[in-house]
Amino acid sequence: MPPRLNIWSACRALSTRAFAQRPQPGPAVLARGMADSTTSRLPEQNSGKLPPSMLPQSETPAVTSKENETALNQLRMIEYGLSSHDPSVEGHKYGVPELPLPSQKHNKHRYDAVVSQVTRLLMKDGKLAKAQRDMAMILNYLRTSPPPKLDPSRPLLPGAPPASHLPLDPVLYLGLAIDSVAPLVKLRGFKGMAGGGKSLEVPVPLLARQRRRTAFQWILDSVNKKKSRGSGRTMFPHRVAEEIVAVVEGRSNVWDKRMQIHKLGTGSRANLANPQVKGLI
Amino acid sequence: MSAPNCLRCLVRPSAGIPSSTAPRTAAHAAARTAAPLAPLAPLAPLVPRSAPFSTTAANARPKKEAQGKDSSKGHVRAGKRLTLGKFKKDRVAEKGRPPAPGERKAYRKRITLSNDNAIAVPWLTDLSPTDLADPANIAKVLALPDEVQDQLRASEAFKPTQCWGMFRKPAVLVRKETVDVMSRMQASVAKRQTLRLALTGDKVSGKSMTLLQAMTHAFLNNWIVIHLPEAQELTTACTEYAPVPGTEPAQYMQPVYVLKLIQAIKRANEKVLAKTYTVSAHPELPQNIPANTPLLALANVAKEPDAAWPVFQALWSELTAQGANRPPILFSLDGLAHVMKVSDYRSPAFELIHAHDLALIRLFADALGGGVQFPAGGAVLAATSRSNAPRAPSMELALAQREAEQAARQKGDVSKDGSKAGVPQRDPFFRGYDDRVEAVLRSVQVLRLGGIDKLEARALMEYWAASGMLRATVDEKTVSEKWTLAGNGVLGEMERATLLTARV
Repeated sequence: MPPRLNIWSACRALSTRAFAQRPQPGPAVLARGMADSTTSRLPEQNSGKLPPSMLPQSETPAVTSKENETALNQLRMIEYGLSSHDPSVEGHKYGVPELPLPSQKHNKHRYDAVVSQVTRLLMKDGKLAKAQRDMAMILNYLRTSPPPKLDPSRPLLPGAPPASHLPLDPVLYLGLAIDSVAPLVKLRGFKGMAGGGKSLEVPVPLLARQRRRTAFQWILDSVNKKKSRGSGRTMFPHRVAEEIVAVVEGRSNVWDKRMQIHKLGTGSRANLANPQVKGLI
Repeated sequence: MSAPNCLRCLVRPSAGIPSSTAPRTAAHAAARTAAPLAPLAPLAPLVPRSAPFSTTAANARPKKEAQGKDSSKGHVRAGKRLTLGKFKKDRVAEKGRPPAPGERKAYRKRITLSNDNAIAVPWLTDLSPTDLADPANIAKVLALPDEVQDQLRASEAFKPTQCWGMFRKPAVLVRKETVDVMSRMQASVAKRQTLRLALTGDKVSGKSMTLLQAMTHAFLNNWIVIHLPEAQELTTACTEYAPVPGTEPAQYMQPVYVLKLIQAIKRANEKVLAKTYTVSAHPELPQNIPANTPLLALANVAKEPDAAWPVFQALWSELTAQGANRPPILFSLDGLAHVMKVSDYRSPAFELIHAHDLALIRLFADALGGGVQFPAGGAVLAATSRSNAPRAPSMELALAQREAEQAARQKGDVSKDGSKAGVPQRDPFFRGYDDRVEAVLRSVQVLRLGGIDKLEARALMEYWAASGMLRATVDEKTVSEKWTLAGNGVLGEMERATLLTARV
């Protein structure tokens, strides 16, 4: 494998060349050298000749084997002032991971945020693996069903891709369906504040996660009321997926639930001005 | 972040306002104009609040319905009322007819062979008759031609658990074992011999898929293919059976299943059967079949289950008639363990019937054991199943023995005294062995399927990515990752890790 030199190491190599300073051996080394041989080992500084490593090479150096080539490359890197055992270059088959790790690499955040939340909402009796398999089947159903026919009176989130793009990105499809029917508010009742023991309904905004949870619970409610046409383990996920397609196509009654909550929320927002509620929200 | 909704009434701006909300639009407009003075006043009537009086005439009028109710009752009952069934869930009335018998199963077992959303892969080519036996095609994905798709569908080679429905066109990966099996088939046909081979291996390692490839090869080369798609249908006592007259000890035919099988054979091999002619007359059938009639006409005689077994016997004797001009034959079965044990059927004496006493299975076992000579050669293939398999200790033992013998033969170390050094032997303290099974499997070849190598894995993943089903760059790292996750390239596990996951 040739050494992978990035642009910075190349620059460093260039700067080394510009000054052409060969490393001066220390006095001890020099003394040893003189003791061993009679010829001088002092570098020829004023000869005006470039060091041999910087002369243009007319022919490639004779390399006997691949290991030899690797060793030569390492020597060359040492000459350039680089560490030949840079962990980002040597010793890692696939290189070192980039830090900080992207969120998808984290064990706990392996799946898309919507997918992992919805998977846990699908779970029954604590059987997460089954819920995950169901989720995979839902996504597969979305991938293989024809592109949805959008209903202009039930608009999806602004910025949604065209319907033909949805089946090939099932995670986006699912997320778009859930986010589009997710309610913005919930009604919170303050007991006895409306007078006469009645509760005072006040609209409260929801966080994104809460909104998705509400929307998916509505979807699951209508799924549980549906009759299954087939049998077997694909039945439940297929019913869920059919409902998701129905949401995107505007056929689902989940839209009515959303409309209902929004109507009530709009109606009861006058209660926000109630002095009793002021400090509580 | 700009809110996608109008914060005043929570209606999305792009929404066409449904008719139910139309009156609110007026209120909305009024709210806009009158905003500084009384921002919330126009919306107030929407709030269901009780007021002691109203200046609006309509609201001031007492409600008729409530009045009527009160007057009819005469008085207001105080206290609790008894409500029956208050804990019952409110069931939605089921609409439409309930699914007909068998419809649910049909939905479960339905096989989809194409996905219109998937991107058509430009470099995908159809299989030609020699492709599957060509070592140059190893680690290539090739498509099944349309005609072969119909034939395979007719003989029920596709299974609902396989991922055919995700791609534009059904395609198969040619792996080393594929080429190995196909070249063995070709070699045996060239010598007019019968290849007898059992495919075994771990779960989802591609045994049924190799069987499908063998059938594809056979169809492409104009063989006759007889395929028993699920051996368990024959031995779990779910289809009718009757003793074959004049057999001692009694054998049993399964007329309904055989009728279905004949029809499948007819549909899958229509062209070849039409060009193959009978050599002898069959006066014993319900419709007289003289010599030199197309075999297709013979197969057409089976209209009722009563005549199915005699017709099948006649068809079989014609196909195996020595000296006649016959195409090569592939006889295959999936789920070998089910036919290598005692079946769930009972004899009139209420004793369990051995699977080899069922006539159709006996035919297959005979062919697998080497008792049948096909006139133009052919192959008898059996695939084991690991996820749906009853215990068949004799079959396991026999396959392990054959495998050990093959390995020893390949190494070339045949010991001088002929003793089998590394060959597993029967456990002397176990009584569940079956001599009939071991006799059948005494001379079969065994091919163990394992994981695919990384080159094949890469070809497969490139195909998945090109179809738009894998949304990732296919590089060495991804391939290695999935290959390792799949237990060193077990094919089905690779599918599970890549296609059937929530991390698309």
